[in-house]
Amino acid sequence: MSTATSVYRKLLMGSAAAFSALFVCLFIPVISFAAEPHIAEQTAWWVWMILLFAFSFVLGIFSVLAGVGGGVLFVPIVSGFFPFHLDFIRGAGLLVALSGALSAGAPLMRKGLADLKLGLPMALVGSISSIAGALAGLAMPANIVQLLLGVAIMGIATLMMKSKSSGSIDSQEPDALSKMLGISGLYYDEVSKKDVSWQIHRTPMGLVLFMVIGFIGGMFGMGAGWANVPVFNLLMGVPLKVAVATSGLVLSINGAAAAWVYIFKGAVIPLIAVPAIGGIMLGSKIGAKLLTRVNTRSVRMIVIIMLVIAGLRSLLKGFGI
Amino acid sequence: MIIDNNKKRHGVDNVQRVYAQILENVSHVGFALLIGGYFVYIFQLMPLSVPIDAIAQNWHLSAATMQQKLNTPSGWSFFGSTSLLMKGDVVSSLSIYYLATATIFCLLFAIPAYIREKNYIYTTISLFQIVVLLVAASGIIN
Repeated sequence: MSTATSVYRKLLMGSAAAFSALFVCLFIPVISFAAEPHIAEQTAWWVWMILLFAFSFVLGIFSVLAGVGGGVLFVPIVSGFFPFHLDFIRGAGLLVALSGALSAGAPLMRKGLADLKLGLPMALVGSISSIAGALAGLAMPANIVQLLLGVAIMGIATLMMKSKSSGSIDSQEPDALSKMLGISGLYYDEVSKKDVSWQIHRTPMGLVLFMVIGFIGGMFGMGAGWANVPVFNLLMGVPLKVAVATSGLVLSINGAAAAWVYIFKGAVIPLIAVPAIGGIMLGSKIGAKLLTRVNTRSVRMIVIIMLVIAGLRSLLKGFGI
Repeated sequence: MIIDNNKKRHGVDNVQRVYAQILENVSHVGFALLIGGYFVYIFQLMPLSVPIDAIAQNWHLSAATMQQKLNTPSGWSFFGSTSLLMKGDVVSSLSIYYLATATIFCLLFAIPAYIREKNYIYTTISLFQIVVLLVAASGIIN
């Protein structure tokens, strides 16, 4: 019975991986061709929804394997290859990031990995600026946003290529603000089988950067894990696992604040948002199971290439080419 | 090394446990509503305020232009009309609104726990956070 289950699981995982590779190689050019206005108009809406769900599913797998949030891949790549206006993609992107953070939040908090005392001050400044970012992003002409998005995606791809996260953090003297806020923690590391205690420094600089990140996240409708994690980890000295988990907590609050702006501007339509959320969340679960069996460095490289292509496409769209 | 006295095993304090429990409950309900609402919408189990085909023919337009052209309900506008609340697309939208309010519920439960711990700094931060989210959800800033 257990052997049959194991074979079934292996088959399922293999199929998911093969489907993902096939999707990247074949479907992206097909979708890209179909997204041309005159062809897009002739395609039934439900075909686009199935493609969006399948595409988001693959993005969900890749995002986990590449160690980035689904939201950061969703907006640049979907805006490059689907016929929807950028407003609706950004609205859906925020909800994708929000949903992912909400679903992963509770278990990570119970394990002491996502830390409420660390996340709440960052989320407060980040949520205010994410509202401002969303308002600014929706007020700008689409070609300018597309251009800026292209620049941002290229920046993220560069950051992904160069970033080296620090898994173990040397003990740092906590700053006065973090002492006042009582930000410190303890978690059990399942790899080293040890309790790891941590404290933070450079909290004021962290707050400023979270304000900037919130603005960018709100403007482009992207999750901001790509920026939250390095700020927590490299700047403030938060252990990598706590940084990743708490980044989701911050995202669940910032994303909600910015999402309301998109909702009131009519930029959230369930027809597009729900299949995107469903696809990414299902893909993320499969991705988490594949994590130990796949060469994540290769996947990360594929994701970087996908981002560069999407970034170039976004820049070209911004220039009206 | 400074470790909060309220933190027990795995560094999880009581407020964080409360927050996690509410987050789990709220998000489970939210995802069920999201799926249910979408099926009601796309299979048109209830009448729609804007036909799906009309949305699909205009989704290349900006949100503002589409709203102007199709008069799609946004924000809380449908609460003024009982007939709109019975539309499939509005039901699906409401499930999304519910997800967007999830963190407000969590913070509402965290505040009494912070007050019990006499942690007035985090009580204030949580209160401010709720105000920010409520202002965003009210649509005042739009």
